[in-house]
Amino acid sequence: MSSSRERILAAARANKPALMSLPPPSDFGGDASLARFSEVLASIGGTVVRLAARSELAATVQQLFPAARLVASALLTPTLVVDQQTPTDVLADVDLAVLAGEFGVAENGAVWLPEAQMLHRALPTVTQHLALVLDQRQLVATMHQAYARLPAGPGGYGLFIAGPSKTADIEQSLVIGAHGARSLVVLVY
Amino acid sequence: MSYRTHASRAEAFVLDHERTSWHDETLWFVRQKRDKAVYAVPEFQELRNLASAIKDHTLSQLDFYLEQFEAAALANGVRVHWAADAAEHNAIVLDIIRARGATRVVKSKSMLTEECHLNPYLIEHGLEVIDTDLGERIIQLRDEPPSHLVLPAIHLKKEDVGETFFKHLGTAEGLTDPQQLTEAARQHLRAKFLAGEVALTGVNFAIAETGSVVVCTNEGNADLGVNLAPVHIASMGIEKLIPRLQDLGVFTRLLARSATGQPVTTYTAHYTRPAEGREMHVIIVDNGRTKQLGRPDFRASLKCIRCGACMNTCPVYRRSGGHSYDFTVPGPIGSILSPNIDLKKHSTLPFASTLCGSCTDVCPVKIDIHTQLYKWRQIVAEANGLLVAKKLGMQFMGRLLASPAAFKLSGQLARRGLRLLPHALSHNQAVNAWAIARELPEPPKQSFRDWYAQQAPTPSA
Ligand code: SF4
Repeated sequence: MSSSRERILAAARANKPALMSLPPPSDFGGDASLARFSEVLASIGGTVVRLAARSELAATVQQLFPAARLVASALLTPTLVVDQQTPTDVLADVDLAVLAGEFGVAENGAVWLPEAQMLHRALPTVTQHLALVLDQRQLVATMHQAYARLPAGPGGYGLFIAGPSKTADIEQSLVIGAHGARSLVVLVY
Repeated sequence: MSYRTHASRAEAFVLDHERTSWHDETLWFVRQKRDKAVYAVPEFQELRNLASAIKDHTLSQLDFYLEQFEAAALANGVRVHWAADAAEHNAIVLDIIRARGATRVVKSKSMLTEECHLNPYLIEHGLEVIDTDLGERIIQLRDEPPSHLVLPAIHLKKEDVGETFFKHLGTAEGLTDPQQLTEAARQHLRAKFLAGEVALTGVNFAIAETGSVVVCTNEGNADLGVNLAPVHIASMGIEKLIPRLQDLGVFTRLLARSATGQPVTTYTAHYTRPAEGREMHVIIVDNGRTKQLGRPDFRASLKCIRCGACMNTCPVYRRSGGHSYDFTVPGPIGSILSPNIDLKKHSTLPFASTLCGSCTDVCPVKIDIHTQLYKWRQIVAEANGLLVAKKLGMQFMGRLLASPAAFKLSGQLARRGLRLLPHALSHNQAVNAWAIARELPEPPKQSFRDWYAQQAPTPSA
């Protein structure tokens, strides 16, 4: 008896329609401005905060999150050191993660966060609050341009994050802070 | 064996008028949010064409892309399994869990595992399986199936959720505030995430060239589950494939806008390689899909990206509720997928439609849903699945409408007859199901044809 793999492939081969062509990748241009990005992010529950200079990061974070006790970050002096080996019960207590976003997408407020910037894969979702730091020159208009920026693929694990975790599963009422971060700030410099 | 019809299953739902109206209006509101998001993207129709073409192409090369995906995933250190049907899929999942000696499973949303009835199977085998999507958790606690593709608990009111949480999560009696209920679920599920040993997810898109699987959520539950548990098992139907990473540009622009009117889901996660010291498995499932691929009239249904737009817009779904379909996928798309699985059991679903075509208009991958509904009707009728009353009625109407003289006569008879006939007879609910909830309009005194003949001829210019 042939394996399921062989049977599925054989059935797909036997039952597939005649070859249809694959359209080439598309790019519709569009608005890649910080104004657009900020407006869309605000509409989905996130916030953009402008830093006059990258050196203001620590002070701004302190000002925005005065109550954050355990802060994980590679961009400022952390109060908790997190790496890929950090155990779950330690991760569970993180109040704030401050991570470097690679680029932002103006049409939907998403920020690309590759694994290399996460410290631990679970950190962006297990933290109570998330701040992503973004160079404002690193904005693209649409998801077409976003994926075009990843010619080497998405890496081992990568996330587009657009706003804070949310749900509308109870009577379609929007509630921010389902399981992931309760708030999302994008710190733009 | 006889099965209940869609209409009879909808009866319980429509009894509660207030709730039916709420359901109807709420889903229509979601449809309107979709429209707003769609109109804001000038190239939206072009994106639909592209999505449709990419899916058509992938299906026409499905064997090739399956092998390409497998090779890339294996090279990434992912273990790839193949399951011909639900039973094999479930057995593979159980094997992986048992090999780890694990008992605690956290699960994010997956219609495929619903289709395979994975939860009851795992629970029977002594495992704890926790659905972590809020809506899914609510219905899991209530022991109900989902009633919508993306809004699984849309049939419930906040009072129902409050009662469920009071019973199972120990929230205060009478608590109905969505914010507080969600917070209670967050605390409850956080403990489950932190203790999870195996994380199960579905797959929104599988990228053949990179071997990645992509999972889209708003809550972040898939990422939390996967990244805290040592083992990740992703279950995907063979139709989830797309050729290139770049193609995701098209689909991520369409999915959330079509589903809820959001510009994109909060989290779009790309899983390509397991983290160091961890395991990642992908199970590729057929379960009837290659058979559907072999049906030229119906294979386009495999292009579905499960956005739910067709049900939000469907006048029948909105007023009958997801449970009336008695199939994993409800609504218009469920009505064209289900007959492929069991024609007898689901024979009334292709008739649960007005054939208005609204589903086809909103479908982001341009599936000709209402045409397929019509074609399934032919097949059901052929297979003698039609109710006798409907069949005789159709034959009678067919003859009547084919003859102008008979049509004219019947009109005269009906106009006179309906005025004379007692209501109890013309609206007899035993023979005339139509009349159960409807009234005929007052019959006009004359036909259009007579009226037209009486009009003075328009002078020709
Ligand atoms: S058939 Fe089309 S509209 Fe319906 S769920 Fe699938 S993709 Fe969405």
